[in-house]
Amino acid sequence: MLRQRAVQQSIRRLAAANLSTFNKTTSLAQLAPPVAIATGRHTQIRQAATQPTSPSDAYSILASQRLHRPVSPHLKIYRPQITWLLSGLNRITGSILSGGFYIFGAAYLVSPLFGWHLDTATLAAGFASWPLAAQLAAKMAVAFPFTFHGWNGIRHLIWDVGAALNNQQVIRTGWVVVGLTVVSSLALALL
Amino acid sequence: MAALRSTSRLLAPSRCLFRPVVASRSYANIASIDTSASRPPTPASQTKTVKEPAADGDSKIKTFHIYRWNPDEPTSKPKMQSYTLDLNKTGPMVLDALIRIKNEVDSTLTFRRSCREGICGSCAMNIDGVNTLACLCRIPTDTAKETRIYPLPHTYVVKDLVPDLTHFYKQYKSIKPYLQRDSKSPDGKEYRQTPADRKKLDGLYECILCACCSTSCPSYWWNSEQYLGPAILLQSYRWLNDSRDERHAERKEMLDNSMSLYRCHTILNCSRTCPKGLNPAKAIQEIKKDMAFGS
Amino acid sequence: MRPALLRQGLLITTRKASVPKPSILRACPPAAIQPITSIVRQTPRVATFHTTSRRAILPAGPQVLEGTANDPAPVPKPSPTHGSYHWTFERALSLGLVPLTIAPFAYGSLNPVMDSVLVAALLLHSHVGFTSIIIDYIPNRNHPRARKLFEWLLRLGTLVVGIGFYEFETNDVGLTQGVKRIWKAGSTDKVIGSA
Repeated sequence: MLRQRAVQQSIRRLAAANLSTFNKTTSLAQLAPPVAIATGRHTQIRQAATQPTSPSDAYSILASQRLHRPVSPHLKIYRPQITWLLSGLNRITGSILSGGFYIFGAAYLVSPLFGWHLDTATLAAGFASWPLAAQLAAKMAVAFPFTFHGWNGIRHLIWDVGAALNNQQVIRTGWVVVGLTVVSSLALALL
Repeated sequence: MAALRSTSRLLAPSRCLFRPVVASRSYANIASIDTSASRPPTPASQTKTVKEPAADGDSKIKTFHIYRWNPDEPTSKPKMQSYTLDLNKTGPMVLDALIRIKNEVDSTLTFRRSCREGICGSCAMNIDGVNTLACLCRIPTDTAKETRIYPLPHTYVVKDLVPDLTHFYKQYKSIKPYLQRDSKSPDGKEYRQTPADRKKLDGLYECILCACCSTSCPSYWWNSEQYLGPAILLQSYRWLNDSRDERHAERKEMLDNSMSLYRCHTILNCSRTCPKGLNPAKAIQEIKKDMAFGS
Repeated sequence: MRPALLRQGLLITTRKASVPKPSILRACPPAAIQPITSIVRQTPRVATFHTTSRRAILPAGPQVLEGTANDPAPVPKPSPTHGSYHWTFERALSLGLVPLTIAPFAYGSLNPVMDSVLVAALLLHSHVGFTSIIIDYIPNRNHPRARKLFEWLLRLGTLVVGIGFYEFETNDVGLTQGVKRIWKAGSTDKVIGSA
């Protein structure tokens, strides 16, 4: 009902503002406004259809308008910057490490029930039988999150004392962490 | 009718988080009208380009893709509208380009602006992926690159580039951004401060509350309901740090929960994006230190 | 929800048809009129129970604000155990993990006591990290039940993993020694259990 009223009102307003749209035949509508005024042939029409609304009505109209609003784009359009990319990577690498930790811990507890052999001796023997490329890939998959989360964790601890928090320092330490991660994870994988 | 509709929409957020994809059924037309708040904009490639009105031989034509959404069509999808402008006839700043589009090309384009010199904070928007003030942001002169302009990220859009900052201001009000004292000054005149104490407010009082930093913070994107965000926390620190204020403990207590302050994960987008060169991340870190070790 | 959507869909068609083209739009270049014409062209034909398959990540619900613009946002109840104490504990734990992580590299491995301390610290650190993820991505306001479910799942998981690692630490060689054994398995020796 509100909606219909709004449409009605806007039509009325349009009719008032643009006589020509609705009243093509009248000659005065074809005159430009200054001419119409100069010749004294203008009629001023103000069909402002106003309706008193109480504050609570106004609030409910606003609240119902809000429900239709879209959210502006965010993650997909924000420029990739080292600040939030490394922060996201910190969370992802942490989740990978902790996830692995949790999966192994839980699996170790239930392994007797299912007859799995998860003792380190068996695992080591199994791992030794992998091809070298697979071994390297697996080591890299563990070493990269581990070293990154470690170095970046130290960066976070430095921030936590309130140091190195200006833009240049944040960018520089960010790239230092990336460099250290690449070097140390490669070193660990080749160990 | 309207009441029915709004209540049914109110129930919408409580739907299950992990509903399987196949189970989400709704009415749809051929183009599948998506009326959820997170509906993405139609890309610029699918909309028409509005051309520079008077292009001539030696004009420097640059393309602007601008986010558009019209509240008069509430269920419509937002879209990216492209405009081309001759940079020779446009002022140097992005705000000049927007004003020129509104004056000469498309009067329906809607955005906020007031001071055009970076002191009111009205024209905060996302330009080329970074939140900044349109009046302080130069148009990149490289005409080969297209400029994209969005409203502040993860805000509810009122129209085109105008975000609804009501909740942001409500959060500002919740930190009581004013001097709270019980005692009178000794001589009955103004509350005095030593130059050293006054210096502590530098870098804090200059904030114009443009919301660039808060809306650049992923943590604020996901939890803007309860997390205060960098701008409000900077202001919170401004009052915590004021030697004349006597409600230090109460102010700290207000932040001592898991949401208001501690959703900050030092992502540091806030300091990176601040158009006034302030450092909200540092202020938040100082609050955390004060909360942990302060008296 | 569905009748409302239907009404909205119908509303679009009828409204687009009834609203006359205002002159302000006619004065504009064609693209300015585009929104209206484009929607008229793709008149929504409502297909019942159509299954849609696209879903946004962490979708934002419709905007609902409590109170008017003049009311301050509600301040949560103070709770230092989830606030400042929690933060200090988390930092102390992270700080403690630094030497515990470096030590195995410096000395080859850790003695059983220190190894257990490392495992306990890692478990707590992981628990805190997962809690943080749950708080961030499952907002209490929209999904209170999913939030509770995941919190309890995490507690259960941490308990199970804790017992699992107790078994591991008491029956096996310990975390640092075990990782070292597997890590070196390929390169140095391929004999079972000789590492």
